[in-house]
Amino acid sequence: MTLAAIAGVGMTKFGKQSERTIEDIGREALIRAMKDAGVGREAIEEVFCGSSYGGPLIGQRILRDLGMTGIPITNVENACSSGAAALREACWAVKAARAEAIAVIGVEKLTRFGGGTLPLEETDIEVNLGNVMPAVYAMRARRYMHETGATARHLAMIAVKAHEYGARNPKAQLQNRVTIEEVLGSCMVADPLTLFMCCPTGDGAAAVIVMSEARARELGARPVRIEASVLQSGEYKTGFRDMASSELTERASRLAYEAAGIGPEDLDIVEVHDAFASAELMYYEALGLCGKGEGAAMIERGDTGPGGLVPVNPSGGLACRGHPVGATGVAQIVEAVTQLRGETGPRQVDGAKVALTHCTGGGIAGLDHGACAVHVLAV
Amino acid sequence: MAMARKDNLAEETAQAAEGNVAYFPASRPWTEEAGVVRLHGSRCGGCGGVAFPAHNACPSCGAESGQDAVLLSQTGTLYSFSEVHVAPKGFATPYVVGYVDLPEGVRLFGQIEGRAGALRIGQQVAVVLGPVRAEAGSAATRGGAGGGGSAGASVGRTVISYRFKGLP
Repeated sequence: MTLAAIAGVGMTKFGKQSERTIEDIGREALIRAMKDAGVGREAIEEVFCGSSYGGPLIGQRILRDLGMTGIPITNVENACSSGAAALREACWAVKAARAEAIAVIGVEKLTRFGGGTLPLEETDIEVNLGNVMPAVYAMRARRYMHETGATARHLAMIAVKAHEYGARNPKAQLQNRVTIEEVLGSCMVADPLTLFMCCPTGDGAAAVIVMSEARARELGARPVRIEASVLQSGEYKTGFRDMASSELTERASRLAYEAAGIGPEDLDIVEVHDAFASAELMYYEALGLCGKGEGAAMIERGDTGPGGLVPVNPSGGLACRGHPVGATGVAQIVEAVTQLRGETGPRQVDGAKVALTHCTGGGIAGLDHGACAVHVLAV
Repeated sequence: MAMARKDNLAEETAQAAEGNVAYFPASRPWTEEAGVVRLHGSRCGGCGGVAFPAHNACPSCGAESGQDAVLLSQTGTLYSFSEVHVAPKGFATPYVVGYVDLPEGVRLFGQIEGRAGALRIGQQVAVVLGPVRAEAGSAATRGGAGGGGSAGASVGRTVISYRFKGLP
């Protein structure tokens, strides 16, 4: 079921931009998106802004200097899914005919923390005992490897593929190629995850203009349709939970496939939440791109790399495009839209018609993840 | 319970009296007798679900009362683990963390004594008490150096909590 259309997209380069303000970073992305859609500020009827660490009224602070205040502005916080959750609100607002043109911004400035692991909530029991995001993923990775026979070498292959794509994306934070040996030899963060298997922290913003499909066509834009927009949260369990698979991602993607009336076999490109290399491997399975325990074979065959069956993270993913938390979900949409329009140059997936983006977010005790958003786009 | 804990944590208690030690959680939801540490959980009178930390309402069936105190087993099975080399201020790296499954159906997160090399998934571990971090800076949390709950006289205290020890 078509919910809405994306009429324009824009993003900043991702990376360390400590000399800029977060508002300036957000404005650049929004201006690019409006220019891409061919609309002026007067066309925008509503704004949703996703950010996790941007602070109060981040949307208003971005829009103030553009003279775009007065309209409804809603700020959305959902950890790494903040931007994707903001997009979902816009999609359903357009579907409900509440507005014809909505701007969605995802923005973050992580250099303000000075590097290291992301700050987590102090009331969380696991955080107090030493849990950090790399450890959350590392423990899942070890269990996954224990159950499936996947090895650290497979994780390194994921990182090599991410860097190959990152080298083809001028907006990516990391644009260098690496070898399996270099990945395995980089410093240990939380074993079995080495530095090159972990996404970097950085700054950046992405924005999209969401319209009804009819309105986008009136403008002469080349709209990309949004066929599904799903948000779910992790289920709280004090007991045992299978950490070698992602129930949350399975559930959210199943709902998205149902809503779009497609299956994983119909996807031409996929953008997944590869905060850590092991997560990408597990999400191949959770999204149904392969069967249970077959993720390692999939990366070994090169199915998800350039020229493969279903390229995953042609943008470079969180690993190389970068992961300014709240911006990521919207940046995935920017990649999907430009791929479906055939405008991504050296990383273009030829003839791509259907794309899926997947964003999870948040480490909190007892949950798979705080949130998971899945979008299906098509031309 | 409180009496037993004091007897067996004499050293820590003495340090605490000098302001050198803090406990997490501050309520000290554990009992130690003759070297055996058991955590305080809750069991739902409705569905029988066991939880740690203890809940006032049952997260499994939604019952809003009837959560009975229960002492959890001292030993459990290691579900997974990782040796952490990059961590917020206050944690001495490397340190090992893991998830431990108790027979009551509760999965605990915590630090594990020693290095990761000797550990394996599926092995038995025991709940013990020991230092998990220093309060100084408290950069593990959103507020950073100035925003945590560790301002003033508490800076620098060693935080004692439950953790795990691998069993042969």
